[in-house]
Amino acid sequence: MAQLRIENLTKRFSGQIVTRDVSLVVDDGAFCVFVGPSGCGKSTLLRLIAGLESADSGRIFVDGRDVTDAPAYDRDLAMVFQTYALYPHMSVRDNIAFALRTAKRPEPEVAAKVAEAARILQLEPWLDRKPATLSGGQRQRVAIGRAIVKAPKLFLFDEPLSNLDADLRVHMRVEIARLHKNLGATIIYVTHDQVEAMTLATKIVVLRDGRIEQMGSPLQLYDDPDTVFVAGFIGSPKMNFLTARLQGGYLMLSECDGQKIRCPEPGLALAEGAGVTVGLRPQVLGRTGDQSLEVTVEIVEHFGSDSLVHARPAGSARLLTALVDNGRELAPGQKLEARFRTEDLLFFDQAGQRIR
Amino acid sequence: MTPGRSVENALLAGPLVLFLLAVLGFPTVLSLVYGFSETGFQTLTAPQFSGLKNFRDATADPTFWQAAWFSLRFGAITALLQCGLGLALAVYLAPLARAHGWTVAILIIPMIVAPAMMGLMYRLVLHEFAGPVPHYLYSWFGWSPSFLGPANVFKTVVVAETLQWTPFAFLLFLTACQSIPQDLREAAAVDGTRPWRLFWKIELPLMMPTVFVALFIRFIDGFRVFDNIYTLVGAGPGGSTTSISIYIYESFLRRGEIGKALAAAILLFATAFVLLSVAQRLLRGRAP
Repeated sequence: MAQLRIENLTKRFSGQIVTRDVSLVVDDGAFCVFVGPSGCGKSTLLRLIAGLESADSGRIFVDGRDVTDAPAYDRDLAMVFQTYALYPHMSVRDNIAFALRTAKRPEPEVAAKVAEAARILQLEPWLDRKPATLSGGQRQRVAIGRAIVKAPKLFLFDEPLSNLDADLRVHMRVEIARLHKNLGATIIYVTHDQVEAMTLATKIVVLRDGRIEQMGSPLQLYDDPDTVFVAGFIGSPKMNFLTARLQGGYLMLSECDGQKIRCPEPGLALAEGAGVTVGLRPQVLGRTGDQSLEVTVEIVEHFGSDSLVHARPAGSARLLTALVDNGRELAPGQKLEARFRTEDLLFFDQAGQRIR
Repeated sequence: MTPGRSVENALLAGPLVLFLLAVLGFPTVLSLVYGFSETGFQTLTAPQFSGLKNFRDATADPTFWQAAWFSLRFGAITALLQCGLGLALAVYLAPLARAHGWTVAILIIPMIVAPAMMGLMYRLVLHEFAGPVPHYLYSWFGWSPSFLGPANVFKTVVVAETLQWTPFAFLLFLTACQSIPQDLREAAAVDGTRPWRLFWKIELPLMMPTVFVALFIRFIDGFRVFDNIYTLVGAGPGGSTTSISIYIYESFLRRGEIGKALAAAILLFATAFVLLSVAQRLLRGRAP
């Protein structure tokens, strides 16, 4: 398989920059997920790697070979499209065999590889059907089959699960993870779904406005986000944010009726009176901890194993969420102390950068 | 269907049916009557039933068969040429047309000209003594083919028809080409497909239904050709450009052989009808 290296890649569409000076390395055998909200440039970056768009500046290397100016058909990649893009006039068998036949491989080899792919993806019963007669999940598997028979240097997935229903999405997510394990292939995967990113990736690249906001392993990004954006984007349910002002070793919460949070020792490296955003994961709010906020419960969502509590700090316009595993007796209207540990808090300055 | 609705339907469809009967049915009945009768311009009001005599006359006339052969050849050759050129242009120019839509307007200009005007224009342009094309060929190369002479007239009318109607095929193919989802081309490209193979394996198969329709429409149009050929060379030297339509026109209005002309028209209609049904069945059979 292969290593992918991108250096200072920039792409403009009619003057607007959609990929801004992106540099990254994806190691051989890695599962790299590009994640970000829509319009962040993640699909464009994938299409640049595939050769479906041409870069304005910067270089792309696959296994050390500069492919920046190579046409798509000359890059030895495989791509699974969001729409699957199956050839409607060909049977499933011919769809999967197409790339091999294009490469003029001997027909016995083609047949063997198609059979192998069909076995892995459990497509054997449908090999002679046309794509139009298949369900979404089956089409998805054909699209993946078309990619794996090539044994390409890089697999590119462009939001491959977004057209599937929730059950099938979970199922296919596991299939793709297994495929990665079995093939040991280098995979670049684009999604807007941070759960997919967290569960599949060995490396996540969070993109925002065409720039790399942060990259790292899923748990690195979860535990140690560099910015408010990454902190809010990675993790489910979303992180809570409170706006505060630094005053004499305390963070005075601007919206919460004068409630305050004690700063961690030895304090934050900020001027007195500076604005701070405090981040609290829903998982760290609960009944234990050295600090607390007074809140009123508004809505409780019981998942069975745990409960998601939406509670309003006194005087606040925003609700805090807390994921608690012992919330069965909680009811709307109840007043309680939401406790948390000082060391679980994350702090961000007014530009959204993490204060460590 | 409730009785109330069927009355409603009859009331609403009635005027249209009557109108169609008047404009299509009446001439059809009249043609059939004259086709099976002995008649001339003097005896239009009193046709004498003569059975299949007119059909025997028409089919015994070598000019009729010559005209039918001309129409068949002309229709087939022009349809193939137009569709081949139109397809090549459409696939080649699709990216340009996508980026600059107005270029299509320029390419379809020939279609806007009335075919009869086209014939007249070529008559001027290619005229042996007055036409600019032979004139310049003579002054530059010292030689010019006789475009409208017996040896070349068939080629000339084929080229004229092709130049005028290739844009039609082009437009059909361009639409078909643009309706192929772009991600199929992209998927094929990532699969390692070079442009030539992309055309043969992906684009052409997906455009095949349109190719059949275009071939068929152009063949029918070529088969019944009349105006541009008639204004260009008339029946042609030695009747060499007499299409079946020109044959019918000439026998009806020039020679007053009303019965024979109508018999030929009925034969033309029957042939076209059979061809249309067969083609339609073939097309339906191919549809997924």
